[in-house]
Formats: sequence, structure tokens, C-alpha cells
Amino acid sequence: MKSVPMPLILEAANAEVRAMDDVELRRQLERVHADCFGWAMACCGRDRDDAEEVLQTVYLTVLDGHARYDGRSSFRTWLFGVIRRTAASRRRTAWLRGLLLERNGERMRPEAPAPTDAKVESDSRSLTLRNALAHLAARQQQVLHLVFYQDLTVDEAAAVMGTSVGSARTHYARGKARLATLLGDARDL
Amino acid sequence: MMDERELRRSFEQLREADRDHVPGFAQISERARAQRRLRVPTRLRPLVIGAAAAVAILSFFQARGRSFTPAVATPAITTWRAPTDVFLTAPGIELLGSMPTLGASVLDTMIPTPSKRGT
Repeated sequence: MKSVPMPLILEAANAEVRAMDDVELRRQLERVHADCFGWAMACCGRDRDDAEEVLQTVYLTVLDGHARYDGRSSFRTWLFGVIRRTAASRRRTAWLRGLLLERNGERMRPEAPAPTDAKVESDSRSLTLRNALAHLAARQQQVLHLVFYQDLTVDEAAAVMGTSVGSARTHYARGKARLATLLGDARDL
Repeated sequence: MMDERELRRSFEQLREADRDHVPGFAQISERARAQRRLRVPTRLRPLVIGAAAAVAILSFFQARGRSFTPAVATPAITTWRAPTDVFLTAPGIELLGSMPTLGASVLDTMIPTPSKRGT
């Protein structure tokens, strides 16, 4: 079938719609930016540099249209899913790179990054919570962060994590009980 | 053991602490934009990969060809002499190079005849 050349006026209209989409997308991203950063930090083991890199890649992916919001969930929930997958992919790449570097000898190992987020670390309560969270399984950490930090429901958290609601509920219940015990123990000390 | 309300409060405190350190949206999106500028457009990617592969293959064959090239110029086939030809030069080799005559001795070619000697 022969393709019919698009009239110039229609092309201009499409470009305008695309531009509007881009502006609207930017507006939406800016609105949830702080939440996204918190979630990116949780996905990157509280490494600030990694979280920024992940967020940067996510924004690029979304703005380039490689990840499209289909309206099946809220924009924030969908974006959290993209962040989780991007962070996981980055973690895998880092792991592979680590293997290669290990094979090529210690000389090529990059220097450990300087500790960041020092002011937050000085906050003893935040530090206690972070230490306690570090003792939980990754899935438990994620579901607790999504529910308590981001105020999502367990169902929404399951959608973000890409697991069934039943599995998310189990992680939530076990994680919450363990975290409460750990924080209680820390307070008693 | 902590109750849920306390747990929620702890997370709220962590969130508040994090909020003070959130990098600006403009900063992150500007970095993303810079990354986009550096990135090769998707439709050009096969071309770039193809060109890189072609360059790699060409340089491989060029390097291989260069390693087999002799250091001196190749002589023409008409002037070329085998280096082992010297071993073929042996005493009496001229006997093998000419056609013998019937009824004659091989010594005739080596010893001059009296008639020839008289002339």
C-alpha cells in the first residue's frame, strides 16, 4: 500500500500536540519529583549519586517516549514502577562490571565514593530507622517504604513492585513486625 | 515493640529529612537533556553500528595483509632463480645437457679427435 504524504497542516498540528504532551509530562514529573527521589533512594540502597543517576535515566526514558504512561494506574505509581526497574537494571550492570573489575585485578577497582547525605545521617532517629530497614529483606524494605513513606496502599505497592497483592501483603506484615521489633530493641538500648 | 503510629512517625521524619536534600527537578532534567543530546538517535543506531563493524573488519584485514607482505620487492618470474639451484651443478653435468649420437662414445665429446687436432 502506498503511503499518503501527510498534509503540512496536520504535521504541524501533531507537532503541537507532541510539544504539549512534553510540557504536560514535564509538569507531572516536577510535581512528583521529591517523591520519586525518595523512592529512587530506597531502590538504590540510600546511595544519593546512584539515585540521581537513576532518576536522570528515568526522566530521559519517559520524555523520549520509551516508557509510556497508559493510564491503568496513577501517574506516580506507574513512575515508581519505572524507577524500580531502572534501578534494578543499573544494579545488575554494576554487579557485572564489578565481576569484570574483580577479574581484571584490584588495580582497576574504583575508589569507594565519599560518604554522602551527611546531614541526614546525623539525624539519629532517621539513622536508627535506616539501620533497622537495612536488616530487612529487599522486598520488605520496598513495601514498607511505599506504604509508610509514600502513603500508597498495599495494592498500589504491589503494582509498583510487580508482585501479586497477596505476596505484597505477606512482605508488608512480616516486614512491619520485624521493623517494629528492631526499632523497639534499639529504643530499649 | 513499636506500634504502627510510631512507625509511621519515624518514616515521616525520614521523609522530612530527605526533602531538605532533594536535588532540583531542573538540575536532574537538565542533566537528562544533556545525556539525550549525547545519545545517538535510535534510527541512526544501526548505521553507526554497521559503520563501526565495517571499520573494525577493514582494519583487521589490513593488519593481517600487512603482516604477510614481504620486506623486499618480489622479482619477476623470468629472472627468478631457485636458491637450491647450486646443488644441481655437479661434475659432468654437460653430458646430460646434450643429445648423445648413436655409435659414438661419450669420451668423443670430451677428448678432441686427431683430425680436429690437425686443423
